[in-house]
Amino acid sequence: MLSRLWYYVRETFVSLWRNLSLTLAAILTVAISLSLVGASLLIREGADRATAQFQEGVEFIVFMRADASPDQDGAIRNVLDNSPAISGYTYVDKNAAYLEFQQLFADKPELVESVTAEVMPPSYRIVPADPDAGNVGEIARQFGEQPGVKEVATATDAIRQIEDFSNRVSQALLVAAVVLVGVSALLILNTVFTAIGARRQEIEVMKLVGATNWFIRIPFMLEGTIHGLVGAALAIPALFVVDDQVLAYFQKSDAVPLFRGFAVPEGFVWDTSIWLLLIGGVVGMIGSAVAVTRYLDI
Amino acid sequence: MIRLEGVSKVFKGDVVALKNATAEIQRGEFVFLVGPSGSGKSTFIRLLNREEVADEGRIMVAGKDVGEMGAWKVPYLRRQIGYIFQDYKLLPKKTVSENVAFALEVIGRPRQVIRTQVPAILELVGLSRKSERLPDELSGGEQQRVSIARAFVNRPLILLADEPTGNLDPATSVGIMRLLDRINRSGTTVVMATHDRSIVDTMRRRVIALDRGVIRRDESQGVYE
Repeated sequence: MLSRLWYYVRETFVSLWRNLSLTLAAILTVAISLSLVGASLLIREGADRATAQFQEGVEFIVFMRADASPDQDGAIRNVLDNSPAISGYTYVDKNAAYLEFQQLFADKPELVESVTAEVMPPSYRIVPADPDAGNVGEIARQFGEQPGVKEVATATDAIRQIEDFSNRVSQALLVAAVVLVGVSALLILNTVFTAIGARRQEIEVMKLVGATNWFIRIPFMLEGTIHGLVGAALAIPALFVVDDQVLAYFQKSDAVPLFRGFAVPEGFVWDTSIWLLLIGGVVGMIGSAVAVTRYLDI
Repeated sequence: MIRLEGVSKVFKGDVVALKNATAEIQRGEFVFLVGPSGSGKSTFIRLLNREEVADEGRIMVAGKDVGEMGAWKVPYLRRQIGYIFQDYKLLPKKTVSENVAFALEVIGRPRQVIRTQVPAILELVGLSRKSERLPDELSGGEQQRVSIARAFVNRPLILLADEPTGNLDPATSVGIMRLLDRINRSGTTVVMATHDRSIVDTMRRRVIALDRGVIRRDESQGVYE
């Protein structure tokens, strides 16, 4: 068993080395396409987090003072329940607000430790009947004047535009990435095909002396899988660069304060890395499986 | 050991390779297949280890129906059949002992077995001192000995040989035939296709003569014609 394992490993690496230029081309294509997949996922996650509070039709948020009295709170709730201008709302209490804060800043523990649920402002996330910006601004202003209200945050056009922009960017990246992943699979298929061709004589002898089909196939499939995995491993540092440079750029921008939330926790970057490895491995395995079934006439 | 019952094989373009062939070969026999080019000798051999599948009839090898067995069983059939060729089919980048070891390695034999079997078989074919040479540093006769060593190292029940002396001069051929004879005497069934009249006439073993796919003659201790 051990000697068989050794055989697979040795044959796989001999073949990778013999085919070096094609091997490198396949690996780099996988690396580039998976970098794009990863970047697209990170940007989407960042945008989702930055605008998390403004999803599902929520156009503005009324933040109550942490020390607002029950009467003040009840007055706001009364308006929300009865006004025809409001089609719905959700109440986020102190604990829920604290929980969300913890999630948003999971990778900044010092920030999380500096606050408690007690100081978090409870809030109403409000879906207006008419999402027109002028209308929303007017309603928001009225709420701002009520006692017990700390501030009102509206989803400005600028935020919507940037949200839209990041959606488009991440979708364009994803389309390019899917095409390139397809190209990588084809390139791996061709590389494995070439490797099979280079070893025609050996394969002929193996068949004659009674090597099983899987014994002949496995080194080639390992070869393709390694292309995919190494390519994915090279894409992982690229993910961290995207996180460090691109997302950090949004966070530093002063133009739109909300985009300071344009951050993904390190854990998400690692999760994405594992996905990239999986995708890379599967693409390599599929490419090489097609090559061995189509060209390894056994 | 080998039985053909009414076996026919036709290739594309209506080339009849074998027509209603029936023959039985016992364990330990030495059989020459003779006949002109295109008479069906190679097809006869290739049907036995399932490189070809018969169109009609039944082929039994070592108790198994070769035509009926699932594709996944074919490798295990071939482990019981050694095969040697006119052009040796050695791997040019492997040494003599690596070429022989390769045959054991790819069927998953443990390394200790390989370490003892390979030198033993090279001793048998008389190439112990050239075990680290590459094939193109050897003469034709020596290369054929390596190929016999590779075919026999797993101690198969049957040895198939397709024109094994076709590329060799008469003196060298005699040496190869002595080796095959020795292997046969150890109990291995040998089936050899050949054009070599003098070998057949000297050895006086069973002869199956083919002509355009039909068995014309089958006699023990036969001659070429």
